[in-house]
Amino acid sequence: MNIIETQNLTKTYGDFTAVSGISLHVPKGTVYGFLGPNGAGKSTTMKLFLGLTQPTGGSFVIDGKRFPGGRVQILKEVGSFIEAPAFYGNLTGEENLEIIRRILGLPRSSVADALELTGLTQHRRKLAKKYSIGMKQRLGLAGALIGRPPVLILDEPTNGLDPVGIHEIRSLIRSLPQQFGCTVFVSSHLLSEMELMADNIGILNHGRLLFEGTLDDLKSSAAAQGCPTGSLEDTFLAMIDADNRQRGGAR
Amino acid sequence: MIVSLECKKLKRTGFKAAFFGGGILAAAVPALNMAFRSEAYLSMDAPPVKILLNANWQMMAMLNVLLIVAGACILYHIEYADHAIRKMRTLPFSESAVFFGKTAVLVSACILLLAIEAASIFGCSVHWFGPAAGLYREILKNFGFFLLLMLPAILLSLAAASVCRNMWTALGTGVVCVFAATMIPAQNFALSLFPFALPFRTFSDLSGSAARNYAIAGAAETVGAAALAILILKIRRSFE
Ligand SMILES: Nc1ncnc2c1ncn2[C@@H]1O[C@H](COP(=O)(O)OP(=O)(O)OP(=O)(O)O)[C@@H](O)[C@H]1O
Ligand SMILES: [Mg+2]
Repeated sequence: MNIIETQNLTKTYGDFTAVSGISLHVPKGTVYGFLGPNGAGKSTTMKLFLGLTQPTGGSFVIDGKRFPGGRVQILKEVGSFIEAPAFYGNLTGEENLEIIRRILGLPRSSVADALELTGLTQHRRKLAKKYSIGMKQRLGLAGALIGRPPVLILDEPTNGLDPVGIHEIRSLIRSLPQQFGCTVFVSSHLLSEMELMADNIGILNHGRLLFEGTLDDLKSSAAAQGCPTGSLEDTFLAMIDADNRQRGGAR
Repeated sequence: MIVSLECKKLKRTGFKAAFFGGGILAAAVPALNMAFRSEAYLSMDAPPVKILLNANWQMMAMLNVLLIVAGACILYHIEYADHAIRKMRTLPFSESAVFFGKTAVLVSACILLLAIEAASIFGCSVHWFGPAAGLYREILKNFGFFLLLMLPAILLSLAAASVCRNMWTALGTGVVCVFAATMIPAQNFALSLFPFALPFRTFSDLSGSAARNYAIAGAAETVGAAALAILILKIRRSFE
């Protein structure tokens, strides 16, 4: 069953198309890696899911709720972390999570749980504006993970984390589907990480979906196109390059 | 729930201190005035509350409106400073709920402010003019009137603060509005309906029908400002 499904989802800014008719299928209880070069439209797609920006075409369904009618229902089930961390600098990490907890109507224990999951417990009484970059990132993740929602949308969650942090977050993301039945929709530029983490992959370039499927599917489809299949990185680079050349030729 | 949440968000911003300190400062105005020039006022032939408000309210109202503008800026600055509002927008509740939560906080702060000022007017009245019958009612009427006439300025300052990502833009706009308001002649009814000028009117200084007109204007502007705020939030949402 697909928990996130989009049909020809499109977003244009003026005459610039950031997301161009993509149809994604994210199976429930899996980690879905969303890849693409800078400006490919990954963050824009995620913002569309959260209703932070309005689609100019197409539609999508998250856990059976269709946007825009089901927006509030969707937001209740989605934990998200988009681009840079967003928080109240004048509050401590714990107080920030407490605000989110109360809005979501979660039990009291969920704050401590989210702090523990992201390794912030010992820094919980520090003001968020005094956090280091990595700690802010962790706070953002804690805000997404709090209450362990059925769907997680994470935009470059390991940005700015130290190697230990990257490893921890990767293990955490990897474990979420089995432990809590979560579905994780995650974008990242760390392809080696993605290879270890994702069940399915979607590759975006200039707003268009180049590929969607499992890593094995990607290997076979790359082999069929004559692209290298050694690592995800090689395949990714070759596919993007081929697409860019094709687009250049078409112009 | 939303109101207590908005209060929680204000921790360590100096919001409470600003209103409490502002209230004390405004309360000091009539006391100092009386302490230094009591003969001039005691010889006047009018009800004490009217004398006190006529002598001091322009100054006190100025402080109040500036505090409203600054308070509105603080309330939204915390949302924009570290982009907290971006996280809030991904949570299942509406931005207008946030707006009206903040309105409730600012209105409560203004009630506190007015209460401190009312206590000062009461104290001055009893201390210098002696106890008088109906003093409570007179003060209550006046300060209820002030609160009503403050509402449009409260809503508009918050609407401005919610639009401006940069706190200084909202603060600057608000301060300009306040100074413009002080230059408006009180005799011109139409001009004195400018939302930031309303809080300068005093109940005891107006005839019954004029007071009623101002009260109606205050209520109408409050409704208008609230509608405008909702509209702004809606429009902004569809542009993003
Ligand atoms: N508000 C906006 N107005 C105009 N163009 C925008 C806006 N937001 C995004 N874009 C454009 O949409 C395109 C996709 O941006 P998006 O942020 O989705 O990229 P991304 O895939 O997340 O890239 P990155 O890997 O750098 O995060 C970019 O070319 C960007 O300039
Ligand atoms: Mg991005």
